[in-house]
Order: sequence, then C-alpha cells, then structure tokens
Amino acid sequence: MIKENFKKALFVCLLGLVSFTLPIKKHVTIWMVGDSTMCQYDSSRFPLTGWGMPFAQYFDSSVTIKNEAKGGRSTRTFIAENRWQKVVENLNEGDYVFIQFGHNDEAKNYPDRYTTPEDYRNNLIKFVTESRDKKAIPVLITPVSRRKFDANGNATETHEVYSKIVREVAVQMNVPLIDLDAMSLKLLQQFGEKNSALLFMQLEPGENPNYPSGVHDNTHFNAYGARHIAELVLKGINNLHLELADRIFKK
Amino acid sequence: MSFAIAPNKKITVYLIGDSTMADKEVNAYPETGWGMPFHYFFDSTVVVDNRAKNGRSTRTFIEEGRWKPVVENLNEGDYVLIQFGHNDEVPTKRSYTTPEQFTANLVKFVSEARNKKAVPVLITPVARRKFDSSGKIEETHAVYTRLVKDVATKYKVPLIDLDAKSQELVKQFGPESSKYLYNYLSPGENPHYPTGRKDDTHFSELGARKMAEIVLHEIKNLNLELANHIRAVPLKEKK
Repeated sequence: MIKENFKKALFVCLLGLVSFTLPIKKHVTIWMVGDSTMCQYDSSRFPLTGWGMPFAQYFDSSVTIKNEAKGGRSTRTFIAENRWQKVVENLNEGDYVFIQFGHNDEAKNYPDRYTTPEDYRNNLIKFVTESRDKKAIPVLITPVSRRKFDANGNATETHEVYSKIVREVAVQMNVPLIDLDAMSLKLLQQFGEKNSALLFMQLEPGENPNYPSGVHDNTHFNAYGARHIAELVLKGINNLHLELADRIFKK
Repeated sequence: MSFAIAPNKKITVYLIGDSTMADKEVNAYPETGWGMPFHYFFDSTVVVDNRAKNGRSTRTFIEEGRWKPVVENLNEGDYVLIQFGHNDEVPTKRSYTTPEQFTANLVKFVSEARNKKAVPVLITPVARRKFDSSGKIEETHAVYTRLVKDVATKYKVPLIDLDAKSQELVKQFGPESSKYLYNYLSPGENPHYPTGRKDDTHFSELGARKMAEIVLHEIKNLNLELANHIRAVPLKEKK
C-alpha cells in the first residue's frame, strides 16, 4: 500500500517535472491593422493615444506587437497604400491579425477614405482569407465607439451599419470576434455623459502645451481612455479562449 | 571667440522625489508618476531626467547615493525639481525622516544645487485622495508641506505648492470622480492588478498628466527661464 502511494507520488512528481520542462512557448506576433483609434502616436501629440499602445504592455515575452494601424485609413486605403501587403508578406504561422476599421470607411464626407458597405465587407473577407492562407489567426474587432449621448443621457451607437458588417463577416467565416463597439459603448455608459469625456482628447485652451488652443474630440482617446479600451480587448481575448490568452501577463 | 560659447547647450531638468513622481516599471502600469507625462512638454533644448524613486524619503534618497550623482552632473542653468514628503512623514515607515532632518535635507538639496549654479525648485508633496464624511477634502501633508514652504521662504527658492493645487483639482472632481485620477482598478480589469486596486496615493495616467500640467503651469507662473523652453505649437483651429 505504502509502495503504491509512493509510486503515485513519484508519478505526480514526474508529471510536475515534465510540465516544468515543456518547450518554451513558440514566439508569436500580433499584427494590428486599423485606424487612428488603434495606432501609435509620437510623444509630440501626447496625450493622444491609440489603444494599441497600452495594449502592447500586457503580454509576456513570447509576444511581439506590430502596430501597423495608421490614422485616417479605411480598409480601402490601407490596402491601396500597400500597407496590408506588407503585413501579409511578414505573417508567420500562429501569428495573430487584429483588424479594426470602420471610422474612416463609413465617413461619407471624406471621399478619399470612404468605403462602401460592400467593399468594406469584401476587404474584411480579404484580410481574413489572406491571413488564414498564411496560417495566421485573424481576429475581427468592431470599431470602438465614439462618445455620443442622447438627450436622456444614454450612450448612442455610432457605427451601426459598419459594426453590423464586421459581426456578419465574423459569423459567416467563423472568425473570432471582439465586439469592441458594444463593449466600449457600455464603458461610456458606465462613466456617464460628463465623465466619459475624461477618456477622450478633451483639453482646455492653455491646459497642455501640445494643444495650445485646446481640443474637444469625441473619437480619439487620451492615455487613460486608450488603456480602458485596451483592457476591453484583453477581456475579449480571454472571453474567446484564444491561445493568446495564455500569453497575457500573469501575476 | 564667439564659438567659445557652448552653442545649443541642453538644459537638464532633474526630478528628485518619490513614487508619485517616478517613472514606473511596465508591470506596474497603469500606475503613473507625474514625472512620466512631464517628459512630453518641453522643446528639444530640454532633457527631463527623472531620478525619482518609489518609496524614497529625502533621507533614504541621500543615503542610497541617489542625490550625489545628480549633484555631480549638474551644470549651470540646469534645474532640480524636488518633491518629497510622502515617505518622510510616516513614522512607521523605514524611510521616516524627522521634521528637522527633512528640513536639513531640503536645505542640502537647495544649497548644493546652487553651488553648481543650478536652479532648485521646491514642490510640496502632491495630495492624497482623502475626503471626510461630509465630502470635504482633507489635507494629508500638513506638517511636511509647511516645512517645504518654510525652506522656500527662508532660502528664496521658487516654490510650487502642488499640495494645495492638487487638492483643488481633487476637490473639483469630488469624492467619487476623483477616483479616476488615482490608480483605481476593479478585480479582473487589468492583468497587472488581477485582484483590483484602490489606491488613494498613486495616480492613473489621467491623474499623473493633470498633476504634470499643474507643475508646468506653475513653472510659467513663477516666470522661470525654463518656461521659455516649453514646447511651442502654433495655435490652430480644430479641423
């Protein structure tokens, strides 16, 4: 009996050893493709912050973040400028592609950015298909919400048509989806109409030397807002049970 | 001989102080010291060198040899922004510094900076978030803030009363909303703080930036020469 227990204990110990000596995680890169709400900014524009910036601070050393997002880009212009091509060429098996567009695609008043709903859908499908061709893992993200409240103080949907298209492509092609539009809308509601301004680029004239005349922007985030959005995306990764979730920093 | 004058010499602004001012390790984010955003406000003639360190009082900062290299590197026209108090004033902390010693250490910083023809600036310790039951903000550094002010008056040192100014800001935000300025995180919200955080001393990105903005405004109000090196961006209308 004792011998049996000893054997069991030894077995458990060995198991423990094996788990300690498992090969280190294969290195992966997260490629971020998107617009100004996601991209990297120079410190001269501080406190303007894309959510991809704080996002990069929450992974272990097996992850590299390549933030290829660019201000003002729609799916159409991102492709036309060969930005997508550059990403595809560098994709490795097991890499992730985080895709968040919409703000500029849907902007009819900016003809140089605007993308029709049909083209938007096709471009998302292109991103997904070409990522998968390289054995990378595409993740679709609905466009993060703008700050807009109705007269009753309710946070209002600002990307209705284009977010719906992202959700449809995700279902149709069985792509992991982070519904950042819905999640961020909820966050804005939690902060409320007044305090949600604290998340965005809202500065009084003379408050900050980088914006001497002040700024009242309900689309772009400050460092505080960008981090809250990054936290939502991390939550999305956890909820999806992506393998990537195991690479999020653990204390 | 005009070329004998060092052209375009950079001004170094040394920050010495505690955790409320310090640069943070990535795995402490989003806790942010106000010295971090303070980096982004000057033109290319200024280098901000943040030597502030978590947990340090004037005494331990000196004892650990952190002040000496600052003095050694000081050049004429450099600045030393001095903000201590949080760790000096707590008798139960290893870093405790008596009021007398705190005063003496501040005087040491000021005179040694001046011996190198650098410009010391004294800053009262930034406020903690503390409201009484009626929702009135409470002073949390009464004694040590007083000491900083006394040294500033006695030695004619430029003073930034960050304690008072930050209390005004925290008061404006009010008991609930002022949590946004500090490192408040709910459980599961942030991987670096899995069980959450309710910190009434250390700042979020928002609080740190607001505090840095206050310091910057006071540099202007004091008419320090440094104010001429604040980044100048042409005024432009929002597109």
